[in-house]
Amino acid sequence: MNLKNSFLIAISLSFLGLASWEYYWRSQGFYPTLDDNKDLWAVQRAKVDKASKDDVVLLGSSRVLFDIQLDEWEKETGTRPVQLASAGTTPLPAFRDIVENTDYSGTIIVGVTTTLFFSTTFPLAPPWDRAQTRADFYHKRTYAQRLNHQLSFPLQKNLAFLVSFEEKGYADEINLKGLLKRVKIGSRIDEGIPPFHEFSDIAVDRNTKMRERTVTDTAFANTIKKVWGFYGQTSPPLDKESTMSFFLEDVKKFKARGGNLILLRCPSTGGQRIGESVVSPKLQFWDELISQANVKGYHFEDYEQLSQFNCPEWSHLSATDAAIFTTELAKIMMKDGVLTNPKTN
Amino acid sequence: MLLLASYVFYGMWNPPLIILLWISTMVDWTTGNKLAVEENQRKRKMWLLLSMFVNLGFLSFFKYGDFFLANFTAIVNSVGIDFHPQEMGIILPMGISFYTFQTMSYTIDMYYKKIKPAKTFLDFALYVTFFPQLVAGPIVRAKDLITQFYEPKKATIKQFLWGLFLLTLGLFQKVVLADTLLSGTADDVFGSGKVLNFWDAWSGTLAFSGQIFFDFAGYSTCAIGIALTLGIILPDNFRYPYASLGFSDLWDRWHISLSSWLRDYLYIPLGGNRHGITRMYVALMLTMLLGGLWHGAAWTFIVWGGLHGFYLILEKLQKQYIPFKITAWNGMFLAFTTFTCVNITWVFFRAREFKTAWEMIKSMLFLNTDGEKILEQFDIIKVMTVIAVLFICHWIMRNTSVKEVAEKTPAWVLGVSWAVMIIIMSIAQGNSEQFIYFQF
Repeated sequence: MNLKNSFLIAISLSFLGLASWEYYWRSQGFYPTLDDNKDLWAVQRAKVDKASKDDVVLLGSSRVLFDIQLDEWEKETGTRPVQLASAGTTPLPAFRDIVENTDYSGTIIVGVTTTLFFSTTFPLAPPWDRAQTRADFYHKRTYAQRLNHQLSFPLQKNLAFLVSFEEKGYADEINLKGLLKRVKIGSRIDEGIPPFHEFSDIAVDRNTKMRERTVTDTAFANTIKKVWGFYGQTSPPLDKESTMSFFLEDVKKFKARGGNLILLRCPSTGGQRIGESVVSPKLQFWDELISQANVKGYHFEDYEQLSQFNCPEWSHLSATDAAIFTTELAKIMMKDGVLTNPKTN
Repeated sequence: MLLLASYVFYGMWNPPLIILLWISTMVDWTTGNKLAVEENQRKRKMWLLLSMFVNLGFLSFFKYGDFFLANFTAIVNSVGIDFHPQEMGIILPMGISFYTFQTMSYTIDMYYKKIKPAKTFLDFALYVTFFPQLVAGPIVRAKDLITQFYEPKKATIKQFLWGLFLLTLGLFQKVVLADTLLSGTADDVFGSGKVLNFWDAWSGTLAFSGQIFFDFAGYSTCAIGIALTLGIILPDNFRYPYASLGFSDLWDRWHISLSSWLRDYLYIPLGGNRHGITRMYVALMLTMLLGGLWHGAAWTFIVWGGLHGFYLILEKLQKQYIPFKITAWNGMFLAFTTFTCVNITWVFFRAREFKTAWEMIKSMLFLNTDGEKILEQFDIIKVMTVIAVLFICHWIMRNTSVKEVAEKTPAWVLGVSWAVMIIIMSIAQGNSEQFIYFQF
């Protein structure tokens, strides 16, 4: 057994094989991206523990993630917010985590996508489970997991074939599991969710931008619309009573310690907006939430500056529009006095 | 250096729980030294009991505290006493079952004067803490490991490279075979909460069967490989168990370090085969029930152990009353039958509740004719193919070893195989953070 030769052959072939694999996926349009996973979220969540009264924390689902651009917000308000919104989740578990496990009393902006916000309070059901997992992970993460996350950055930033999505179901998974998922033989069970392509990129501080292809390629945008349609048809009825009461309990505690809570309804358009109006009419859901929480709320339809946008896939703003939306929103909030610029005041 | 690295390794998970390791180390080091010089039998027994009390006390509290409380509550509630304690929510220290059994083996061997005490405290501390096998074994006996620490070790180039090969093989088993090809199907089936179709139930069970083997054998192979790169030799923990000819053979091949521990420190002290057949069966069943409980604080694990005990007793009865000669042909049939029976036990091991396990068994026996289909056709084919290849490989390899095969293989073939494993592993990526046996 000549292990030295075997080792040299193994190293050389592995290098060649992986370089070819990388080259192939780059030629297919893939590029290195970060995974919006629980580790990335936890790094931002840690900032809340040390945050001051002047800080701003963003909670919500993907609309807050896409639509609020951290650079523009910082330019306008002098504060760089902590981005804790998570795609496809309800903000209630993260809000409870901050209320119960920190003494933070600065500003929290909670994005309200009614179909997610009012969905459920059952801990194991989607869209709650993923948000809860992230909050739990933050408190339980080990030093090994922290180190692993830091070590993964150079690889994620440089290798396209390592594209990975914590959220299962993306059709763009090019790891072995994802590739095997694409193999279909027969039709033994019903087709599930339509192919769901990644349409955003996230930075280390979780600032997220819609991919330009979503704006320029209508066919691509339509694949995302189909996914919204699937969720619209298959999601269980909203549970307004439980979710409202769960949230109000935390609102009361947060306000009692001097916290500044702001609710935000980001834009949606087309079929998505129509569907939302049917299952969660503004008057019965948004207006009632604002009234019961007794906090300042911003609904995009109530402001001309915020309702001028067209969402390419009906639910999120393009990177360009998101920058404008953020600037306008920050201006309105500053004007209303719900936000202050600590650098100028 | 190795000792410090081992503590850092364990501390990366939960630093305060290193204290448990220290206590365990101190207690057994002190006990070992006392047993080495103490001649008074009563005092020797007291020292042994002290070690047992501390080690098993920790294990009982941390691993079985919630389980005991839940069962106690159920019992008192059933007799009409309204008692609803708060859950204790105890953290299970990673690998506690492994290092507890390892330190206990040292003390018991010292008690029976089978070994000499460790030369220095640091050697003994490293024996308890040696990082490659600390959290999931193999459970190594003192005579096999401590003596290797007495002089500075440096791996030869051959050992180092073979260690790297074993590390690659172990990771390949874990990342590709267990996590990528099998775990999804097992999770979907056992987590579906539905009454399933025959094919789905069998696919889920077979997927778990393969997953747990590749996961655990993968870890053991990694541990052996890492230790070898440091010049330390650890014993084998698996020898192609799915080609076992019966259940005695299975337990000589599956998690060897645990089964030999249970044999030497539980089954034999319980009487073994020295006090007649009935006593032997009782000892066998008790050993397997406790072996089941070792794996996890739940009745499903105890049933898993009980089933293995039952199979072992049946096998002994068969050997006594209807013996037959094993040939190549009936051997394969016997191996297949053993593997099928093992799969039935895995259902109880994997299911979180009896209801799930029972429904799975019914589906596997064609009793749920209207069971739901939840798996894609490709998933079923994938699992069946992987498990068929696994079974055939175990059959072919049952009387040899990876090293023997590698020695007969041309260097370039070994190199290409090695590269294929590295490439597929890199493509698979794998984001699993745990090995299944870390929780035991």
